[in-house]
Amino acid sequence: MTTLRPFTCDDLFKFNNVNFDPLTETYGLSFYTQYLAKWPEYFQLAESPSGQIMGYIMGKVEGHMDNWHGHVTALTVSPDYRRLGLAALLMSFLEDISEKKRAYFVDLFVRKSNQVAINMYKNLGYIIYRTILEYYSGDQDEDAYDMRKAMSRDVNKKSVIPYTQPVTMRELRRQMRHDHN
Amino acid sequence: MAQQQGMDSALFERRLRPVYDNLEVGNNRKALQESEKLLRKHPTLLCARALKGLSLLRLGRYDESHGCLQAVAEEKPTDDSTLQVLSFCYREMEQLDKIVELYQHAVKQNPGNEELLAHLFISHVRVEDYKAQQAVALQLYKAQPKNAYYFWSVISVVFQGIRGPESALPEKRKIYLGLAQRMVDKHIKEGKLETEQEAFLYLHILKLQNKYHEAWEFLTGELCAKLYPGAPVSMKFELLKELGNWRELNELLQQLLDADRDRWDYYKEYIQSSFELLKLSSKGEEKGEKDSLARCQEFLQGIIESSERKKRGPYLARLELHQRMRADKLPAEQLIGDFDEMVIEYFNLFGDKSCCTHDIALFLPSISMKQRQALAGKLLLESGVSSTSLPQNKEQMQKHLCALQISRMCGSHMELPVDHLIAFYTALKLHYEHGRSSFGKKLLATEMGPSDAYALLAANVMYDLSRREHKSDHLFEALCLLQYVLRNSTSNFHVKLLSLKIYHLFGCQVGAQEMYEYLDIKQIQLDSMGYVHCQLLPLGGRFSGTRAVYDATLKFFTNSYKERLEYIALTYRFCTFSKMEEFMNFKERLTNSLQYVACSVEAQICDLVSCYGNVMQNLTAYAAMSIEPAEDRIAWHELSDNRDLDAIIRWDPLHQVNAAEERKESFDQEVEVLQVRSLMLRLFASFIDLYHGTGAKDVPAGTETATLELLRESWTGLFQRLRLMNYKPLPQTFLVNLLPTRLRLLLDLPYERFFDDLSQLVLDLQSGSGKLAEQCKRVGENVIVVMDVCVKTISECNDGNGTDGLWNRREQQQKVAASLEILSLYAFLLSVLNDKLQVSSKTKTKKRTADNKENGPQPISEKERGQMVHELMRQLKHKLEACDSAIRTWKAPVLPRDLSSFMSDMSLKPEVEATLIGDVSATFKDSHELMVTELRNLLKDKIRMAAK
Repeated sequence: MTTLRPFTCDDLFKFNNVNFDPLTETYGLSFYTQYLAKWPEYFQLAESPSGQIMGYIMGKVEGHMDNWHGHVTALTVSPDYRRLGLAALLMSFLEDISEKKRAYFVDLFVRKSNQVAINMYKNLGYIIYRTILEYYSGDQDEDAYDMRKAMSRDVNKKSVIPYTQPVTMRELRRQMRHDHN
Repeated sequence: MAQQQGMDSALFERRLRPVYDNLEVGNNRKALQESEKLLRKHPTLLCARALKGLSLLRLGRYDESHGCLQAVAEEKPTDDSTLQVLSFCYREMEQLDKIVELYQHAVKQNPGNEELLAHLFISHVRVEDYKAQQAVALQLYKAQPKNAYYFWSVISVVFQGIRGPESALPEKRKIYLGLAQRMVDKHIKEGKLETEQEAFLYLHILKLQNKYHEAWEFLTGELCAKLYPGAPVSMKFELLKELGNWRELNELLQQLLDADRDRWDYYKEYIQSSFELLKLSSKGEEKGEKDSLARCQEFLQGIIESSERKKRGPYLARLELHQRMRADKLPAEQLIGDFDEMVIEYFNLFGDKSCCTHDIALFLPSISMKQRQALAGKLLLESGVSSTSLPQNKEQMQKHLCALQISRMCGSHMELPVDHLIAFYTALKLHYEHGRSSFGKKLLATEMGPSDAYALLAANVMYDLSRREHKSDHLFEALCLLQYVLRNSTSNFHVKLLSLKIYHLFGCQVGAQEMYEYLDIKQIQLDSMGYVHCQLLPLGGRFSGTRAVYDATLKFFTNSYKERLEYIALTYRFCTFSKMEEFMNFKERLTNSLQYVACSVEAQICDLVSCYGNVMQNLTAYAAMSIEPAEDRIAWHELSDNRDLDAIIRWDPLHQVNAAEERKESFDQEVEVLQVRSLMLRLFASFIDLYHGTGAKDVPAGTETATLELLRESWTGLFQRLRLMNYKPLPQTFLVNLLPTRLRLLLDLPYERFFDDLSQLVLDLQSGSGKLAEQCKRVGENVIVVMDVCVKTISECNDGNGTDGLWNRREQQQKVAASLEILSLYAFLLSVLNDKLQVSSKTKTKKRTADNKENGPQPISEKERGQMVHELMRQLKHKLEACDSAIRTWKAPVLPRDLSSFMSDMSLKPEVEATLIGDVSATFKDSHELMVTELRNLLKDKIRMAAK
């Protein structure tokens, strides 16, 4: 049972019961404000009937030509509200917006070790598009899966033909620069 | 300059690179050298001069930097890089109007230059000058007819109407909004509306003028569908409600709910629209049909029956309908059924989800206490777990937890006698252990244990017991249990938060610090969650140990303060009209955060208390703090409460919890505490300034003491007011209640009198008043009183240690810390006075005595004054030594001994049990020892200070 609404600046003061979760990163303010300012409709929040924040999704839309796509930057659900299908609801919201913005596909990165999340995304129709080597830096670097789901605009499902070769961070950065220019 | 511009800019850019690079990595000295090197070759290169100014600024050489930047600005630069560097510097220095001037000059020399105009526009945004924004936006649009610029001018007009200085006048507001609308209308007519944010802005302008009909037409029209396909459906709700079109709203929501059956926002609106329709029908419409509530009930029932997977939505909606009908005295039971039975049905369907407790809690306030407790009993029964049985699976365990949490919320635990509560605690502990060993074995490091909530509940129950008996042993046991849970599920933040609270309650700062670090509170959490730790540190018993925590917090605030305006600029850059006001309000909230202001003041006090150098060093450090006693820099009426009090989970009896009241009361008191602390700081600074004024301020003779006298008046006035206000200590009924503020402590300890008498002493010393000796005596007596507080508190603490070493610990540590704070500040002041009098008695004695012959009694000679100060220092040294020997005897808290039974019920290996209790005990011991060491070091410094 959820209220979906846009994430607002004030929510940054109230999202602790979600962000204390060890898998949820609390970023610097400029990160949130950039998303809020640039892609306000891509930052949505799920609120419980009692007014608690249950989870949120943060994303963006970018890319050129047939690479125009929605991207999930962060998706998180408070421990108290898991197993209620909330992540799926938030994902479908983001896909919906991406459809409306005529995106070809939606993609996201996930830790290779995060089996729970990978399975969930698979159930939502995402495929493992490619592996990004050492995407997550930390005590021990970890690879990421780049997962994708085609939107209706990609009639021939060209965007989800998996890439067999793993990609290094360097290549990824080059591609992203290319995307932005 | 012309020559310079003619030269190859790429070449310069290459030469400037090393300066930029060094600045970027914070190597400011090297940056300065590089810029000077470059200037030797190209002395007129403006950007290099500006960068030199920036390097100087970063190095803290403010006067030189100012001169350098000023000279560059006077040349009215027009090249982008110089302008960027200068505006960066002005932003650092908060001289935002200078940026405006800078770009105004640049634009004048290059009229119609898009880039410069855009910078000028943003410089107006920073100072919130909407009128100027509008003018520049129009110039921009003339230069480059881009939609963005056109809408920059539109939004600037809107802001003049709703936020600017004229927005308070209704007719002005109307004119501005009307103008803004016409501007967009014209654009629409010309077919130039392009983006969804532009469409949003148009809708917003219409709504601000209450033109809901036009807004509806636009929202449902072709253009909006094309530009703004993602318009939130809630906009439709809002407009239909404003238009009173309940029927259409009702139908729309039915459609939406059919497709999306778990949306609370839809159900809420749907139920409201049904009630509104009922009102209409009672006015004579819709005769012969079923009433709207019956149709609502039918619709919900239909959803329930046709859904394959059970979703909470329609069930909760039905409970909501029930609740609202009862509130309106309508026959809810007749239409929907028995309330208790519905809750039980809900519990049976969803009790295995941890959110079930929050859900049911929503509807408890609508029934009587008697009914609540009866219902809680029924739910416990339904869970199938009794006092003699254990949950058979994870789902049943979650149901049991839910029922227990609900029964606490219904107040069922409050009336139990002590022995029942102890038995209840034991049962909870057993359930925790059973659940852990049965269902929590393969836990990921990132998961919470499935039975952790038993332990959380147990901690709350043990607090109730401790509070009833005014004894710490139960709560201490709860702390050990929580620490045990934390070993098993390392990511359970609820456990960390409760442990943190208990550590603070027992004055154990080391334990608290450990939990705080474990929580990994960072970025904006430092603001919203700082109250659990940072706010409790001042006067907690340590000074130097707390400074690092303030530093981390202040670093976040100063950074975001610097960036705050750039966030708003960002919304303009992306033309995100829907977020501009939100960002502006956010900026206000952040900069006026009570946490921010309080933390800055406490850090400054802390620095003054703990300074340990010689007089000159201390005065330099003091000067660097740039406290302006005459100036109250705190915007008292704007202070913002950013605490996230709901982050701490609780199941306390709903009828005894008033979260809003608790928030308000604690905030009000914290603001009062800040008043005292900030005024104390300013008053103290005025003492120092009187003797070591910066010299820059030219104060007319005879008024040097004006600030001090004014502040002294405010000081006594403030205490008088606070005593009259008669604030009650914050209620401590439950574990998660906020700890009492320091207000009582500040009023009970001799702060008021001490600093009041000190003011007189400082004045008398200045004038050489005949009453000086008398005043010295008073101050000396005050010192004894303060020392007594310290010594007596410690001996009380030692005496009580045998009975209970923890219950009053925090309060006792606060008293000791407060008395040492007072004496430390006093020691600093005396060292400054002594220094001054020594110097001046050498130089001026003769001149003074020659001057004053004519009137009245002769002022006391500076030599004599110096002797009196000496005497005060001697006395202070003596008393500080007395404090020190008291602290040396301060015993570590004796911890509740009888813990052997604590773990015996658990299936713990003896070595685990021993290390667990051992670890917690060691934390208390370490904390005490660390505090004693820090306080003794502090005293050692002050004794040295007083010995000079």
